[in-house]
Amino acid sequence: MFSKNLVKVVSGVVAFVLVLLLWVLIISKPSDGQVARSPLLGQPAPSIVASTIDNQPFVLERRKGSWVVLNFFNSTCVPCINEHPLLVDFANREFEISNGAELYTVVNDDSDIAVREFFSKNGGSWTKLKDDNGAIAVAFGVARVPETWIIDPNGLVRLRVTGELSEGLLEAQLDKLREEFTS
Amino acid sequence: MKTKKSIWIAMLLLTGVLMAIGATRSGSPLTQQDRIDSLTSYLACPTCSGESVFVSRAPAAQAIRTEVARQVGAGLRSDDEIISYIEQRFGGQVLLVPRATGLDSLVWSLPVAALIIAISLLVGAFARWSRNKPGAPSAQDEKLVEQALAEVSNKQSEG
Repeated sequence: MFSKNLVKVVSGVVAFVLVLLLWVLIISKPSDGQVARSPLLGQPAPSIVASTIDNQPFVLERRKGSWVVLNFFNSTCVPCINEHPLLVDFANREFEISNGAELYTVVNDDSDIAVREFFSKNGGSWTKLKDDNGAIAVAFGVARVPETWIIDPNGLVRLRVTGELSEGLLEAQLDKLREEFTS
Repeated sequence: MKTKKSIWIAMLLLTGVLMAIGATRSGSPLTQQDRIDSLTSYLACPTCSGESVFVSRAPAAQAIRTEVARQVGAGLRSDDEIISYIEQRFGGQVLLVPRATGLDSLVWSLPVAALIIAISLLVGAFARWSRNKPGAPSAQDEKLVEQALAEVSNKQSEG
């Protein structure tokens, strides 16, 4: 009698847990393409004090008032190479509009010479930031390149895109964010 | 029997005392390098499988190690705060040892609960079995045995 009840109770608990797991799977939001979650979204961007590959100082906080796009990059990473023409198009588009976003490349584990060679060969005149000790990558939680982040004019992190960009994704996401967060 | 029981109780008490000492004692002061090594051994390399930041040579692990070293060197954050800083950026999967709070605490509490339930069930089962143990034969049993023995001896004498 006791063991029969026990079997019922155990099967009931197992069934409940399975239903719970299924429910979590159903209600969990699928990731929107390459747009990824991060605890930093909606939070002030990590403080970045760095220098460019031309040894000019860079302080992220001073870019407040502009939309900032950070692209974590390595010249030997294939997805970074693949998405580069899209970034060039994006930078050209933003350069032509009045409140265009500022694009910065954050060089991840790469030499200045290799980066200079890559950009002189493939185009892209925007600023490249050194991240020799990986502090910027860690501050944003970037483990693999490429990753692209958007920071709004108030200095709040608004978007994280992991992996290779697809055509038009960055433009569409930035336009959406501009509509949503520009007062 | 009584001595055996006392030995078991003494062993249980000793285990409890040693566990309490182990859980509450504070180690000798750590050097900065000890702190860095200890913290990075709790963090998983985000680009490798199953390796700690302490062990891994992947660039992402090296960057985390450098950041931990920088924060330890600055002396502004406690160990918990440094671990939280990395966790907030890379997510909970960067922790090799799950936290004892929130949903993660189930990792610690469920096995203990399962062990307690299993032991209780076993104790119950043993108690039930010992209660159902056959006692001394009844008069009816003895009569049946006598009859059977008589039949056997009859058959043997006829044979």
